[in-house]
Amino acid sequence: MAGQAQFDAIVVGSGITGGWAAKELTEAGLKVLMLERGRDIPHQTGYETEMKTPWEMPFRGVGDAELYRREYPVQMLNRHFTEYTQGHFVNDSENPYAKAPGSDFNWFRSYNLGGRSLTWGRQSYRWSDYDFGANKRDGHGTDWPIRYEDIAPWYDKVEEFVGIAGAAEGLAQLPDGQFLPPWPLNAVEQATRERILGKWPERVLTVGRTANLTQPHLGRGQCQARSICARGCSYGAYFSTQSSTLPAAQATGNLTLVTDAVVEKVDYDSTTGRVIGVRWVDRKDGTRTKASARMVFLNAGSFNSVHLMLNSASEAMPNGLANSSGVLGTHIMDHPSTLSAMAIMPGFEDVTSYGNRPTGVVIPRYRNMDEMDGAGHTRGYSYQGGALQSGWTRGKREAGVGAAYKNSLQPPGPWRVVLVAFADCVPRASNRLTLDGSKTDPQGIPQLNIEFAFGAEEQAALAQAKADAAEMLTHAGGKVLMGFDRPGPGGSAIHEMGGARMGWDPATSVLNRWSQAHDIPNLFVTDGAQMSSSACQNPSLTYMALTARAADRAVGLLRSGAI
Amino acid sequence: MAEQRSPSGGWQRREFLGGAALFALAIGIPVAGVSLSGLDEDDAPTDRQRLMMRQVSQAVLPATDTPGAGDVGVGDFVIIALAHGLDGTREPAGSSEMPWAFPEYQRRDGTLRYVDWLEHTLDRSANGDFVRRTIGDQVTLVGRLDEEAFAEGNDAHPWRKLKALILTGYYTSEIGGSQELQFELVPGRFDPVVPLEPGSRAWSSDWTAVEFG
Repeated sequence: MAGQAQFDAIVVGSGITGGWAAKELTEAGLKVLMLERGRDIPHQTGYETEMKTPWEMPFRGVGDAELYRREYPVQMLNRHFTEYTQGHFVNDSENPYAKAPGSDFNWFRSYNLGGRSLTWGRQSYRWSDYDFGANKRDGHGTDWPIRYEDIAPWYDKVEEFVGIAGAAEGLAQLPDGQFLPPWPLNAVEQATRERILGKWPERVLTVGRTANLTQPHLGRGQCQARSICARGCSYGAYFSTQSSTLPAAQATGNLTLVTDAVVEKVDYDSTTGRVIGVRWVDRKDGTRTKASARMVFLNAGSFNSVHLMLNSASEAMPNGLANSSGVLGTHIMDHPSTLSAMAIMPGFEDVTSYGNRPTGVVIPRYRNMDEMDGAGHTRGYSYQGGALQSGWTRGKREAGVGAAYKNSLQPPGPWRVVLVAFADCVPRASNRLTLDGSKTDPQGIPQLNIEFAFGAEEQAALAQAKADAAEMLTHAGGKVLMGFDRPGPGGSAIHEMGGARMGWDPATSVLNRWSQAHDIPNLFVTDGAQMSSSACQNPSLTYMALTARAADRAVGLLRSGAI
Repeated sequence: MAEQRSPSGGWQRREFLGGAALFALAIGIPVAGVSLSGLDEDDAPTDRQRLMMRQVSQAVLPATDTPGAGDVGVGDFVIIALAHGLDGTREPAGSSEMPWAFPEYQRRDGTLRYVDWLEHTLDRSANGDFVRRTIGDQVTLVGRLDEEAFAEGNDAHPWRKLKALILTGYYTSEIGGSQELQFELVPGRFDPVVPLEPGSRAWSSDWTAVEFG
């Protein structure tokens, strides 16, 4: 493309928030360039393994472990990474990052059109004022410059488009939304819900709110209950860039999409105090190109947006783009999570279920709300999981050979309930991203260095979550087999966020309440980098709502001539 | 072009590929499922080892009203799977001090040559030639090995990983996945509560059940 193309806006990244930025801005009439660093994966025709059976796969869907150890040593740790989905994840050997000594961080990434919207867990939850007020209440981090009432209409807007199946429960800590009919609980989950509620009315096991369509929605097909979403879905039955926002943006005729474009710098004009465009490297042939625009939206994924800002340092902004505060890169977070309890649930031997529900259950936060009842921590944790019958893989743990053994593996196995806790991650200045001083990536860009550790609060939350989970499942009639209270390495929840936090004060935050850089009025960062706290529920829906909100603001400012 | 014989002797890549392909055709499974490309000579089995793996697979999961694991090519699958390190088989396999260990089958990096180990272990328990024993004897011998491996405290016993790969090979094959069990890639709906009749077969396409075992 021409080096001097002029756009109204450039959107860096095509994942969940990039797709939303492109949709909102193009629908408002802006000419938008969207840059994606990875390859094109067209909707439907690009989902190469979607309809494959295990016996049609070279390694039966399990994948070539030797290849994974060599080239995907981090990505292979992701539970959604399989032989079917490996093409939707980065090759680690080609996409290195650095870790500070003593830091353990698994950075799960999808460098392709749609980013991680292709492989996301689809759990979609509103945050509440317990979350937006958390920093102010306990003093960790900086106060969010928004509250629930600021974002609520934007949740409505994105939910109506995304299509989220969920059950309204009337909970202050997990506000209800614009829901499609919920997926039903199975027999064991329903009984577990009732038994827990009988003793703890504030602990509400409900079906996971998920971006999988329980009925046809805005031209997209109903979910077929396959639960192989990360392969890509030709029915368009879960929300992704490909299925949803990209077609909407393209329908306007205002979108220019370029894939294989690794953005290396955002250009800043110190005379006007504005960003004027971006530069990128073609991933395939190494050529360098640039384009100019009246505003830039960074939606590269939390850490990559921060990486780009750090790498866009200039004479005028020597510490990185929009970093007069010096906090750019700091206060990164990821949810500490672990398997809190797994229990056998006897008494349901005569029932099973049919089809693969594409969501589990959730027990929303119930600690540290109106009463501070956390043991050694001031925030929340919630559980996700579900009841399932074990499959043939249980035979790997069982003694036996021969016909009787084979026959024993034919029926579904015993029902079990699994509860995985996700806790708030305290925002800390010491958890931070920097540019590595010596290592570069294949495009010659300094590698991102991740410094990260969980602290005492996270450990305490997971310890209490383990004890609670065992108590709840035992009360519900289960026999607890195991439970853990230590978080996995950072990044394991794939909810990495922060690094360009929102705040009231330009001296201590990067972005204002509109996801707009304090220092640069035509620069917006609307992915997870903007988050000032983590809450304990999945963040993607909040990123989407904040993106739509920021896009609306940006369009208004553009039209008024303010940017 | 035929390649050199491997140090373990007797095997040529072209013969192996040809044999596997014919075998696959004979039992109606796609050749892709038994692709042997990329196998190092070091991992190449002898004909006798292929026969043994087939017999051992069949002993674990024999023919019932559906074909057994050996019948559907799981022996070869396990050999390929081991060469590619599936189920953690290219990670150090415990201490050579363990009672079931034979240090001569450990590579320098601590990983185990599972096929060589199994051949040695079974021949020893068979007082000679495992592959020539009757099927009944083979089931007994594999059963004894299984009992030892699943005894208290023997979590690191190499047989556990071999057995796990036999299960993977069988239940991800078309016969194991869709005849012994049921398979439906596109269920189309979710019914939360369905009576479980005696004799019901589980869904190998219930990915969560398979993942969490």
